[in-house]
Amino acid sequence: MQLAGLGRRPLRLWGALIALLALTTVGAVLLPRASHRSPATGDGLRHTTIEVSPSRCGHGWQSATAGLQVFDLRNTSDGPTEVYLEDPASQVVYGEVEGIGPGVTRPLTVRLGEGTYAFKCVPDDADAVTGPSVHVASGRRGPGAAPVTEHDLIPPAIDYQKWVAGGLSEVVRLTSRLQRAIDHGDLAGARWAWLPAHLEYERLGAAYDAFGDADAQINGTDAGLPGGVHDKGFAGFHRVEYGLWHGQSAVSLRGPVSALLKSVTGLRDSWAQTRMDPAQLGLRAHEILENTVQFELTGRTDYGSGSNLATARANLDGTREVLSRLRPLLTTRYAGLPGLDRELDRAQRTLDGFRHGDGWTRLDQLTRAQREQTDSVLGDLVERLASVATLCDPRRTA
Amino acid sequence: MNGTERGEGVGRRGFLRGAALAGAGLATGGAAAPGTTTAAPAAVAPFHGAHQASVLAPPRRTCVFVSLDVTTENRAELTDLLRTLTDRARFLTSGGTPSPIGITGPPADSGILGEQLPSGQLAVTVGVGTALFDDRFGLAARRPRRLTTMPAFPDDDLQSDWCHGDLSLQLHADDPDTALHALRDIARHTRGGMQVRWRLDGFTSPPRPSGTPRNLMGFKDGTANPDTTSGREMDRLVWVGKGMGEPDWALGGSYQVVRLIRMLVEFWDRVSLGEQERMFGRARSSGAPLDGVSEHDTPNYADDPKGDVIPLDAHIRRANPRTAVTADQRLLRRAYNYDRGMDANGNLDMGLLFCCYQQDLARQFETVQHRLAGEPLTDYITPFGGGYFFALPGVRDATDWYGRALLG
Repeated sequence: MQLAGLGRRPLRLWGALIALLALTTVGAVLLPRASHRSPATGDGLRHTTIEVSPSRCGHGWQSATAGLQVFDLRNTSDGPTEVYLEDPASQVVYGEVEGIGPGVTRPLTVRLGEGTYAFKCVPDDADAVTGPSVHVASGRRGPGAAPVTEHDLIPPAIDYQKWVAGGLSEVVRLTSRLQRAIDHGDLAGARWAWLPAHLEYERLGAAYDAFGDADAQINGTDAGLPGGVHDKGFAGFHRVEYGLWHGQSAVSLRGPVSALLKSVTGLRDSWAQTRMDPAQLGLRAHEILENTVQFELTGRTDYGSGSNLATARANLDGTREVLSRLRPLLTTRYAGLPGLDRELDRAQRTLDGFRHGDGWTRLDQLTRAQREQTDSVLGDLVERLASVATLCDPRRTA
Repeated sequence: MNGTERGEGVGRRGFLRGAALAGAGLATGGAAAPGTTTAAPAAVAPFHGAHQASVLAPPRRTCVFVSLDVTTENRAELTDLLRTLTDRARFLTSGGTPSPIGITGPPADSGILGEQLPSGQLAVTVGVGTALFDDRFGLAARRPRRLTTMPAFPDDDLQSDWCHGDLSLQLHADDPDTALHALRDIARHTRGGMQVRWRLDGFTSPPRPSGTPRNLMGFKDGTANPDTTSGREMDRLVWVGKGMGEPDWALGGSYQVVRLIRMLVEFWDRVSLGEQERMFGRARSSGAPLDGVSEHDTPNYADDPKGDVIPLDAHIRRANPRTAVTADQRLLRRAYNYDRGMDANGNLDMGLLFCCYQQDLARQFETVQHRLAGEPLTDYITPFGGGYFFALPGVRDATDWYGRALLG
């Protein structure tokens, strides 16, 4: 897998922004309510302006009608805040707007149906406040889900972290075996040993910055290196792969494999001291296979072994490992979970069909129909997994 | 469909059945907000009807044409796929506000058209290829009788990566973002059920200076089309009707031929005007037949039996000899220009995304194509892809879906 940029958690830059916004805030708070200027809409939808502040959270509506509509959430407090529209009894959330700056009005488009609703204001630096409840008598509402809190995610994250630790030990063991083969000048044995070591690492789901800088040393490509595959900075599994499948001598590969072993050993040792951010769990469930689609199904990460489909299969295992830890949270929140399970099985069947003993079909040997099946099933999976990430994005509820 | 025809709030909801993004669906805009009095323009083509109105509608400024292969495992899933495709096409052509899904997923829409989708600015044409009638879905016995695999014609140089497919999907709009938005939306909702086999985008030039738009050889293209406002003419030439031996489900559909034709424009630009005009049989400036004055003059071949004015092998003369015998061989041209960059030796890769509709492939397109074989124009073009498809009968109403009669 390829390291591709930073994680995508929204950056909390509010500290810096608050000072900037303070001036406008004073003006906004003092303005009489009638002078509030609604953003020009022209969308043909019913608009209701709702106040967002610790003292008047959710004020602005006494009654509501069913259907698609817009709430213009106007932050009259002096700090940024999150706003949820929830069922106050079940705490199921039907809409949210993150990080509304002081003095700012932002729209929330939702479909209301039969049920009770209240706005919950969650200021960045104070306790949550729930506004008045409003009942809607009829209609079918849009989909909702109970928020997942950071607290909910800590036990699965710890469990997952332990599993990764075990996997990293196995990566070290298998990489040592690869190194021994190269040190003995046994290139055939090294080619045979390379794949299990690499797949064990891929199974850990090192997608998009999960292992930080270490991943670039362990699993980077030649992207961005001036000398390409001959660049001194090209390191890790793919560097060794390039040599093993391009006729390089065992002696010339001693350095790269030794560096690789050092990197994976270093990651294993540091992993024990690292505490994984629980917020990463949902993202990993989604992004491991995004990475597969981007780098494996395109062949971008093939340096001669032709093992992209094996890697995709290992990535699927890695996704299942994350999902198994999130499952208790998802069963009550993700209506599409049975469909996701079905498609995971289908992807597994599809990929297993390309395995022949220890060997795998090369990507460029797939027929057009096989290629389309593979792209289709994995493309479908990432669409479904995107919902896991949004549902498991930790939210404050108190 | 015009948003102002709907009541306050929301007209409909939850079209999407069984798709990955459950809950996404259509909400029409309701009454126009105060201050927005602009009436919605007439729809590019009404979505509901006995026929796909997009077949007859004049070409828009842009189109996306994709051939797709179905990747579903069985007939029930194929049905789900076509229902989802119908739901998306209905929503995308009607416009409105995509239904928000709260925290249960990423945004329901890509947002590239803003938060409100315009109404009536997109047309969709859906067809099925003969490949769909193989043994995968048990449809072999239901194949439209005249639907075959497009053969290689004498002057073709077909590339298999650019030919055929289980389905055809054409998205017509006046703005590229409208068509691309639709492509993205449809692909997102159908990833598990179909994959794009090949794709070519087209465009229609504005009239230069008037009349029928020009192709990239500089000639007006499509002047002699049948009259699409005549129901009788369309029933005679375009739509599959009763008594033709076609399966009942196919009534109201039409055979769609797509031909991807590279034009060797550098070579063409090195040919004298007189030779160019004799190859087409029309004047480049006006589009008039060489024996006429203005574009829509009818060529009089009877008075020119030896081809002294319009050569016997001129394109328009071979394509449509305008005799009683050949009258039922006419077809409805719906061609677009295409431009896809450069080729390996630095020449422009552009040409014609030729598309035409007819009720009988052999009687119409193939007969004309055989008559055109060896015409002088063939030295300046290379047909490299395309396929035969059957444009499905129309989606009749809000409960109907593409292929219901075929699969139901």
